Parts: sequence; structure tokens; C-alpha cells
Amino acid sequence: MAGGYWKILSMAPFLALVGCQVTPTRMPEAEPAPAAACHWPVNEGAVPLARVVEVLESRDFLVRDTDTSLGFVSAERAERTIYHNAVDPEPRFGGFLFGGSGGHVSSGVGLGIGFGGGGAASEEATRIERVSVVVGGESVRVSRDVQLYDWRGQLRQSRTASDADFCHELRDAIEAGEASP
Amino acid sequence: MRRGVLGIALILTLGGCASMAPPTPAEPVTGTVPGSVAAVLDESMALLMERGYVVRHADGDLGRVEAVLGRWPGYRVRLEVASAERGSHVEMTALRGGRPLPPHLLEPWMMALRSRLGRGG
Repeated sequence: MAGGYWKILSMAPFLALVGCQVTPTRMPEAEPAPAAACHWPVNEGAVPLARVVEVLESRDFLVRDTDTSLGFVSAERAERTIYHNAVDPEPRFGGFLFGGSGGHVSSGVGLGIGFGGGGAASEEATRIERVSVVVGGESVRVSRDVQLYDWRGQLRQSRTASDADFCHELRDAIEAGEASP
Repeated sequence: MRRGVLGIALILTLGGCASMAPPTPAEPVTGTVPGSVAAVLDESMALLMERGYVVRHADGDLGRVEAVLGRWPGYRVRLEVASAERGSHVEMTALRGGRPLPPHLLEPWMMALRSRLGRGG
């Protein structure tokens, strides 16, 4: 039994560290950095903000904030998805038993430990994509991130996603509208 | 004996964490930069978005920009800009997972903002 104590005690420093938050030494930035395709030059007034809003809305984005004087749009889109990596690393404790027989009623607490099923562990999740677009006098700039929330509403994944594919597609859509108004 | 020492070490370690815990309001970095409020907001948004931040809220009249970074556990930066005698007065705060970050982390950004605006860009 003493050996068991020592195991727990030797784990203690690591457990203690779990609760700590390490302060970064510099302000974090996106890694990888936003793609070059997310910043492209335009002529003054060539891209109306309304066009950007229209393109975003046609892609199921919901506009959250705009400022016309700054040429700014912020939007987000939510979609249901399947989260494939839902294996809970921590065991789940729980269980409450209540039963009666032969005129006797008794209750008890049973302890059960279960690990999420192996292999087929996937659950429903919500994927939130947040995008901001700024149309300046000389250029258009786009940034984006993607977050995954599980069915409990807990954030499971968060990453920056200012990638070339998304920005190219958005740029093409915005410019296609200009060419054929 | 050793167990006692370990116990004390654990308490001290955890105590160190607890002392970081009180949710103090974010301490801002303040400074004066050249340019109008609109110019400062434009440049701040460019600076933030270049670094992958998504601007969630911006208002030219209120002189505010709020941006988030989608990296674990979530970062948020807020700028408040007001016109000053010479240029604009900027207040910057940053949160990491809802907790304020020490203001010295934002100093390089304030300097970057100042130099970019100084270039007349």
C-alpha cells in the first residue's frame, strides 16, 4: 500500500502543473502565419463593402458586425459536424443504484469506471468559422479561424485558418461579382 | 520525513498557482501615436489581421477594435483609441483564456503601431 502512496506522490508535481497557466513571453500569433493570398491589392472604391457582405452571406455566413467608415465586416458560420476524436482520456465515474425487494427499500451508490468506446468514438459537434474582412483604400485583408465545440458546448479545437484556399475562393467570388454586376 | 517534505513542496507549488488566480482587471498599455483615430484603427486592424487575429468588432466613432486569436486557450486583444492633442491616444489590453496578460507583452505591438503610423502609412 505504501508503494501506491509513493506512486501518487511522485505524480503530484505533474498534477500540480496541470492547474497552472504558463504566461507566454510574447504575444501569440497565428501559426502558420496567414497566407499571402489573404491580402490583395485593389483600387480605391473597387470593392464595395456591400459586395463582401453579399458574398459572405451567400456562403451561409452570418454578419456579426460592420463598420462602413472603416470598411470592416466580421461574420461567422456555424455548421454541425462529427467530431472524430472524441475519446475521453479521463475515466468517467458515476452511477446511482436504487432498488427494493421484499418490502425492503435500499439505495446505494455504485462506482463505475468506463472508458469511451474504442475506435468508433465520434460524436456530434458544432464547427464555428469566424472571418473578418477589411476593405481598405489600397488592399483587402482577410483573417479566419475555426473552432470545434462538442455537444456539451465545450471547446474542443481551436485553430487559426487564414489559408490560401479560403482566401482565393473568397477573392474570386468578390471579383466575379464586380465583373458582371 | 520525505513524505512531509513532498507534501510541503506540493502545497507551495499549488500556492504559487493560486496567487496568480485572482481575476484582476486587465492592465492596459497606453501610448500616444501619430495619426487620426480612423488612421490608427485602420493600421491596428492591419497589424492584428497580419498576425492571424480575427477582428470581431470595430467602430470608428467609438474608436474601438476587438480581435481574437483562434489558438488554445483563446486570446483577445482590445484597443481603445481617442483623439489627443498630437495624434491619438491608444489603450491596448490582452486576455488569454479570459485572464489578463501582463501589459509588457503588448509593448512591442504598440511600438510596431507607432512606427507604422510614423511612416505615414
